[in-house]
Amino acid sequence: MEDFLELMVSVCEAGSIYGLVALAYQIVLRPTGIINFAAGEWAAIGAFAAVSFITWWKLPLIIGLPMCILAVGLVGWLTEVIAVQPLLKRDAPELSPVLSLLGMLIIYRETVSSVYGVDNLFVPMPFGFGRVELGSIAGTSQSFFIIITVVFSFTLVWLFFERTMWGKAFQAVAINRVAAALLGINLRLVTAMSFAIGGAVAGLAGVLLAPITSVHFLMGLPLAVKGFTALVIGGVGRVEGALLGGLLLAFVEKVTIRYAPIPSGLALGAPFLLLILFLLLRPSGLLRARGEQ
Amino acid sequence: MLEIRNLSAGFGKVDVLRGIEFHVEAGELIALLGPNGAGKSTLMKSIIGVGIHHRQGEIMLDGENIIAASSHDIIGRGLAIVPEGRMILAPMTVEDNLRLGATRLNRSQGHSLAEMFEYVFDLFPRLHERSDQIAGTLSGGEQQMLAIGRALMSAPRILLLDEPFLGLAPIVVQEILDALTMLKEAGLTQVLVEQKLDIALALASRAYVLIKGEVALMDTVKSLAARKDLDNLYFALASVRETEEIS
Ligand SMILES: Nc1ncnc2c1ncn2[C@@H]1O[C@H](COP(=O)(O)OP(=O)(O)OP(=O)(O)O)[C@@H](O)[C@H]1O
Ligand SMILES: [Mg+2]
Repeated sequence: MEDFLELMVSVCEAGSIYGLVALAYQIVLRPTGIINFAAGEWAAIGAFAAVSFITWWKLPLIIGLPMCILAVGLVGWLTEVIAVQPLLKRDAPELSPVLSLLGMLIIYRETVSSVYGVDNLFVPMPFGFGRVELGSIAGTSQSFFIIITVVFSFTLVWLFFERTMWGKAFQAVAINRVAAALLGINLRLVTAMSFAIGGAVAGLAGVLLAPITSVHFLMGLPLAVKGFTALVIGGVGRVEGALLGGLLLAFVEKVTIRYAPIPSGLALGAPFLLLILFLLLRPSGLLRARGEQ
Repeated sequence: MLEIRNLSAGFGKVDVLRGIEFHVEAGELIALLGPNGAGKSTLMKSIIGVGIHHRQGEIMLDGENIIAASSHDIIGRGLAIVPEGRMILAPMTVEDNLRLGATRLNRSQGHSLAEMFEYVFDLFPRLHERSDQIAGTLSGGEQQMLAIGRALMSAPRILLLDEPFLGLAPIVVQEILDALTMLKEAGLTQVLVEQKLDIALALASRAYVLIKGEVALMDTVKSLAARKDLDNLYFALASVRETEEIS
């Protein structure tokens, strides 16, 4: 039982990270219709930013974390300016931004490897290696830090979409771009903002992940795949869907690795099985959008 | 107030509109008439700058050419549109639809959001009663009121209406006619796209008739109403053009 509860803590930890990356996809996808596979690379850049600001410059977390988020938000915004805006301006086919973003993925990865090298880098645990016990639930302090931060971030993003005029404008663009434009909503600004906010969210995922993994220039792609899977599972239309998808994905992943009598290499395939199942049986995901296109 | 000179516009490489000359003075209600496919909606879209591939010519708003301006800028300068097919945001509430209509509300001119809500709810009390309802569940007439109310939320100086009476029952048509008449009496400049002549003649002071992407006729409503060929005006104008083209 205790073993299972501890496993659940690590499911929540991993699920939170996957959920954040899924949310980064979603924030870009909803108003623009663009699937941004560079989201995983944004998370990796967040982790490398943590190496710079927290490991090397030794900034305290309370300053370092916002700086990392801001930096990757800026990267997200730049991504839009370089790879998306020129295409939208010329009325390029719908799929072309997806391809140019794949190109950006490679550019980011190569840039990171030439700046930081190809060796594993580390970020210290902000709260040390201590364990936290809440009754029979126990885990590392970092696990709980991740879970709390992610729940807080999801709440913020949810409030942004549901309670602010800016968020409503995003939703309007998601529902009907032409109708939104006819109301005077600035589509170009909404697109740029969605990339900046998406970048910030993915960057946060990277910063949170950095202390519990080794920071490496190839870490982005697996995150991109996991985040995308979580997005498909949870559905693209609702903020809370991304978190739900992340948690379910992590659950399947951890439980098969721990309990299934198959080699751990094969167990890594479980999430993909889940992805395929959802694409076949419930392509709209667990939570349906409310009338978005 | 709004003057269009030698405007061509279209989709892809094809021009739908050619050499349009058009003007509206402050406080006027102009009717824009024409058969299906004449280019009426295309002209509305050209003015707002949404959903059109290319435009050429001059669109002067208060003496400034806005043809290269972006749509949010144009709307910010005091234009608003009630688009063809209403285009309400169906999954959102009536209140959120109205709120988004105020995206470009010019607060520096002393307009407040609360004041705009009051103004629209006075004009259409039914929207007030239903402000928490999901817009997609409104009746057709209520959706049209919402589309008009939403456009008014930005306190426009010129209101473009693209066939606001289409598919509505006579009682609702009357309600909306009354609302537009009130707006006109309050001095709001309006451009009303219509196919039915009787509605246009009841509201407008002048009318333009668009045939195959060109202005075939501009006249006061009085002299239009006196025409003998009024019952098949579009047909008559179209055949006049064809004989002109042949000769
Ligand atoms: N997005 C588009 N792409 C290509 N052609 C278009 C597009 N929209 C309209 N057209 C064409 O432009 C012409 C004029 O269309 P428009 O919608 O302006 O006519 P309309 O006068 O508003 O007609 P209706 O009274 O039926 O609404 C039509 O021939 C139509 O096929
Ligand atoms: Mg039309």
